[in-house]
This record gives sequence, C-alpha cells and structure tokens, in this order.
Amino acid sequence: MKLHEKILTHYLSCTSPVDKEGYLNKKKNRNDTYHRRWFVLKANLLFYQERPADRHLLGVIVLEGCAVQHSETDGHFTFSLVFGPGLKTYRFAAVDRQGQESWVKALHSASHCYLSMLVKDLARQYEEAKQQQSLGESHPSVSALKLPTNSFLFTTTQQTAVVREGRSFSASTLLQAPSIPAKAVAKKSPKLWTRRHAHVTPLNGPAPLYGEWPLVGFDPLEDFSTLHEYYGQEVKKVREDWLKSRQKEEDHTEQDLIDLG
Amino acid sequence: MRFNEKELVLLSRQPSERAAELGMRGPKKGDVVKKRLVKLVVNFLFISGLMRKRSPIGALLLEQCRVEREDSQTFSIAFLDEAERKYVFECDTEEQCAEWIDSIIKASYEFMRKNLIFYRTEIHRLTGKDPLEQYGISDEARFQVSNGRPLPTVPFLVAL
Repeated sequence: MKLHEKILTHYLSCTSPVDKEGYLNKKKNRNDTYHRRWFVLKANLLFYQERPADRHLLGVIVLEGCAVQHSETDGHFTFSLVFGPGLKTYRFAAVDRQGQESWVKALHSASHCYLSMLVKDLARQYEEAKQQQSLGESHPSVSALKLPTNSFLFTTTQQTAVVREGRSFSASTLLQAPSIPAKAVAKKSPKLWTRRHAHVTPLNGPAPLYGEWPLVGFDPLEDFSTLHEYYGQEVKKVREDWLKSRQKEEDHTEQDLIDLG
Repeated sequence: MRFNEKELVLLSRQPSERAAELGMRGPKKGDVVKKRLVKLVVNFLFISGLMRKRSPIGALLLEQCRVEREDSQTFSIAFLDEAERKYVFECDTEEQCAEWIDSIIKASYEFMRKNLIFYRTEIHRLTGKDPLEQYGISDEARFQVSNGRPLPTVPFLVAL
C-alpha cells in the first residue's frame, strides 16, 4: 500500500501544534540494541528522525489500534506501543522516569479514536451546561466516559464547595448533586478529593494497595454501576459528616457556655 | 520513509460510515478518471481497486488539505498548498457529494482538536469546571488553548 509521504512530511513541518517532541531510544527490531532518535508526536502520528534538524524523515508510526505499556527493565525507563498479536511492538527507552511518564501519557491520548470520544463527551457536557444555564440554576455536570483501555473515573468535586458553603442537600440519589446558585460556583473547585487519575498509575512508588484502586481488575464496560456505587459512598460519607458537624454546632449554641458538669 | 504498513492496512479494514465507489482522478496532468473504492477511516482516506484485494492501493492523510466543491456532484481535495494539483472525486448524487465533503472536513484531527478546545473553554466558562480534569489530561499539550488566549466563538465550529 502506498502512503503519500509528501502529505505527511508537509503536515509535520506546517504550523499546527506539536504535541510532544524529544529524544528517545528506539529498540532495533530483534536486536537488543537501541538507537537514539528524535521523535515528534503530532496528532495520531509519531515521526522519527536522527536529529531534530534533519530534513530526512526515517519513519512514522500511525497510532491507531495500539496500547501504550510502560515497564521497567534493569533501570531503563522503557515503554512500548503494542499493536496486538501478529502485529508490531515498538519498544522505547526514555532517559529518565519523567520522560517515560510524560511520553506514555502523551501517546496514550494521541489516537484519533480517543479524541473523537472525548469530543463527543464534551459536546454533550456543553449542551447540558447551556441548558442548565438557561434554566437559571447550575447543576454541576457530572459525567463519565468509557475511554478505550482506560478505567473511567467519576468525581463530584463540586460537592466540596457545597460543604463549605453550608447549603442543604437535596434529598435524592447519591448522584444527585445539590443545586447551587451560579454565584456560589468557585472558579476552581477546591480539591479535597484525592485526585485519582484514571489511567496514570503511579510509576515511582510501589503499586498501591489493591483496595485503593477499585478500578483495577474491573471491566469498565460492565461495572459502571459498581463504580458508581463506590464513588457514591465517599459522597455519602462527606454529606453525613457535614450534617453531623452542623448538628453539633447547633447543639453547642443551645448549651450553657460553661459546663458545670 | 518507513511506516507501520500492516497496521495501517488493518486500520483500513475497520468499519466506516463513509465508504463508496467513486470516480477518482489523480492530480497529475493526463490522469484519467478511474472507478475506485474510497473509504474514510479516522483521518485517512484509503483508496482501493474494485477487485477487493487484501490491501488498499493507497492512503491519503487528511490533514492540511482543502476540500472544495467542483460542481454539483464532484468534489476535490488539494494537498500541500498546491491548489492546482487536486484529487477529484465524482459522486452519484449531489447529496452524496455534500456528505463526503462534510465527513472529510470533520475527520481531520486538527478540526477535532479545535472543537475540543472550544468545548473545554465554554464548559469552563459556564460551569467553572475544567471538563478534562476528571480524565487526568488537563495538562496535555494537545488540549491547550493556543497562546493561552481563549478561542473566539467561531461560527463554523458550532455547525456540527
């Protein structure tokens, strides 16, 4: 199959943004040798050449249908692009952990399919946000997306703003976020929740306890309701705690100032 | 230039909503119209002969190209800023022609990126939340507003 190369080289050199570039060591076929190459990630294409200034491109990898896997081999910060049985596996080594992590992250979200799903999800959130605005109140939009090779993540960061504002909760399901007037919505929601990155497992420390990561071992396509329940528990607990603390305050104001026992 | 041909051929076999037999003429002088199976998968246009061989004949990356209507049933794609050298495609109906133009424009990665940035900015403006945070990708260079300036509400983005 002929790939129109000039179109690709033109795209590489044009003004559209480069998503990531840098030196990586690329493993040569079946040998154990690595060659240092300059890589440029643009859209769903990973170009490589010997040096940044080179006009001659050595090659390109189309990043559709591959999984990005990181590994640690003898102190080398390796990762690979795996296309599947009977297909290629490209192996790379970064110079340090930071390089490895940032390349893995960038390559993971590079495919056209990934971007397409993300755009669809955001389009939906946008419509919801517009509708809610026209209704005159702001329900924080709560959504989750099943991304390929990801466990999806469900958060309600807006909840923390509510706790601080001391507003009452609407009685309903765990998911139902309380209604908050638009003014009360913080520009940047306070992050009392520990951020759990959906697809970036910590590479530095030891693997977290299995219990910490409810998404490990789950099939996201089947267990949405389980995840929903799991994260809902945290929300429930925070609400209960807040209600309790509010209750305590009220109690205090009714008691004598001095407790004579 | 090396590329992952086997994987790209596999990509060409993925389901697509935009695949049809069209009359296609190449960009060079003297190129004649030939009936081809044209298939749009992600941001690639795969061209095959009608004989259903194992691999397509060729693959065109649909980035930095200009898609234009030539007449009621014909559209063209120009690459490399070479307005004169175009690939010309003849459709069966006006409607089919319009659908192809629309699909090709929207298939471009750059087009999708612009939309994503638009939605991200708007959702943040309307709700105060960055919708990419929940996926842990808010720092990715790919999804940043260029030059830190918010994108204007460009009419063409809304007409999806």
